[in-house]
Amino acid sequence: MHTDGCPHLDHFKSNDGLKTFRIIHAIFVVCSTIEARKTKVDNNYCHVCKRIGPLLHACMQCVFFGCHKHIREHTRNLKHNFAIDLNYGQVHCTLCDDYIYDMEIDRVAMNNKLGAGRCRKRLFNWTSWEVTSEDKDILKYNPKRICITPESTIGLRGLLNLGSTCFMNCIVQALMHTPLLRDYFLSERHKCKGNPGTCLVCEVSKLFQEFYKGARAPLALHELLHLIWTHAKYLAGYEQQDAHEFFMAALNVLHSHCKDEVNPTENKTLLNNHENVKCTCIIDQIFTGGLQSDVVCQNCNGVSTTIDPIWDFSLDLGPVTFGGRPPSSLVDCLERFTRAEDLGLDAKIMCSNCKSYQVSTKQLTMKTLPIVVTFHLKRFEHFNEIEKKISTLITFPEMLDMTPFMSRSRIMDPIPSDNRYSLFAVINHLGSSINAGHYTAYVRQQRDYWYKCDDHVITRANLKEVLDSEGYLLFYHKHILGYE
Amino acid sequence: MTLDFKEEKVNIYLESNNALERVSELVQTRLVDCGWRDQVRLACRKAITENGNKIPTVDELVTKITPKARSMVPDPVKRELLHELEMVLVNVDKASYNKT
Repeated sequence: MHTDGCPHLDHFKSNDGLKTFRIIHAIFVVCSTIEARKTKVDNNYCHVCKRIGPLLHACMQCVFFGCHKHIREHTRNLKHNFAIDLNYGQVHCTLCDDYIYDMEIDRVAMNNKLGAGRCRKRLFNWTSWEVTSEDKDILKYNPKRICITPESTIGLRGLLNLGSTCFMNCIVQALMHTPLLRDYFLSERHKCKGNPGTCLVCEVSKLFQEFYKGARAPLALHELLHLIWTHAKYLAGYEQQDAHEFFMAALNVLHSHCKDEVNPTENKTLLNNHENVKCTCIIDQIFTGGLQSDVVCQNCNGVSTTIDPIWDFSLDLGPVTFGGRPPSSLVDCLERFTRAEDLGLDAKIMCSNCKSYQVSTKQLTMKTLPIVVTFHLKRFEHFNEIEKKISTLITFPEMLDMTPFMSRSRIMDPIPSDNRYSLFAVINHLGSSINAGHYTAYVRQQRDYWYKCDDHVITRANLKEVLDSEGYLLFYHKHILGYE
Repeated sequence: MTLDFKEEKVNIYLESNNALERVSELVQTRLVDCGWRDQVRLACRKAITENGNKIPTVDELVTKITPKARSMVPDPVKRELLHELEMVLVNVDKASYNKT
């Protein structure tokens, strides 16, 4: 490909100008208006073989569209020298027998793209990246390169047990292997505005650097622990804690620290105006879903709907009713979670329609799903002050489709969304009660490698082992990220 | 309904409601994410250096690399594409039912 334009095109430009190019580019390559789309649909096929590809081009000298093979025949036979590729807008010169670069063409194309009104990946993926001198310096002063192969263990670090801190270690392992969170922190998106040394987000950011820098010695999380202790006082102390409780506390603190960062003044006014505005911090973007609760009055069938934010799904494991069959799989648990529940005579609810307290049913469904869904299997039961662990076997799949548990209006959507989730971390509790025992985590690393993290010991595991484990907290990541 | 007519209907549908654009962008993202693009880039680079002093044209590269690049597309990406297209096509049928 010529990098400095082409004499043939210069000649063509001086005679005909670039109007043809600009119009074809705007309609067929950028295609941002409804009229353009219509024109494109009507004309977007090869004039010889009537197909839409591969590599459809348009001749710049007459009205002809052709696929890769036929456009070359056309330009060669008729001595029409220039053709525009309709996918990316590159111009091909028959005389040079190659695509050409031309400053003026690039400028016209860029103008069209920028005028498109909305950003489309395909068009902007290919715009070149100008390296700033700052980036150059960073690369120059950090000559060490890390190559990631399927065998590399980068991203795996053992964590020292600081005296019953396995509840924290396993949650940290799960967070460190949350793909979207990792991407966020490794691209250094957190710009801290808090006091140095007090921000948990900064601490997590530091941890990510530690995890992914390639070192292998186990880490001690005393700073993180201290921060959690200062921000969530009820977790302070050296006793064993519940991993789930720690996870919720960690999300809470992270969320509140992120919130300071996202334009404090703007955020405050938003919060004052409407209570339910979704926060844009990374924690909310990844972990927050919307739980819809429909209360149906049995008298008038009136429905009152509320939607609450939700970070995790706590699922009951006990028998549904006395003597009933306890759930045996995650899907069972979810079906039970989203089943319409009779609130009974003792819990009548004020119906706004009937203007009186009526017997009602309540049903929970997912209005919006978070990117990372966490399931908390309630294995610890408090009964008359006695703690009991429910060790029922609950099977859980590697790939989970959440569609059946969505609110009805979502299911009726004309273009159904893909709600498949894949498992990426499992936390297990070993032992007989909440105050004793030990936590371990299975995490997925790179696509399909599983590792077992037991404090400072990390061993390779396989999927079967993971799926056969008991399961206390299950972490699922959305398989396909949708467009917002 | 002839096959051609069906194909045309599908094509129009794919183009007119932006489905093709959406699907191809999705596939493109997947290919970049899974490292396919880097692999293809490497293959191109290799082909260029192996060609000696003469720099191959884009068309030559396309004919040379395409079969190889196709075979390198990971199966999950293909499956996902299939799934996406199925979803879109199911809706083509729905759309035509609604009209008639």
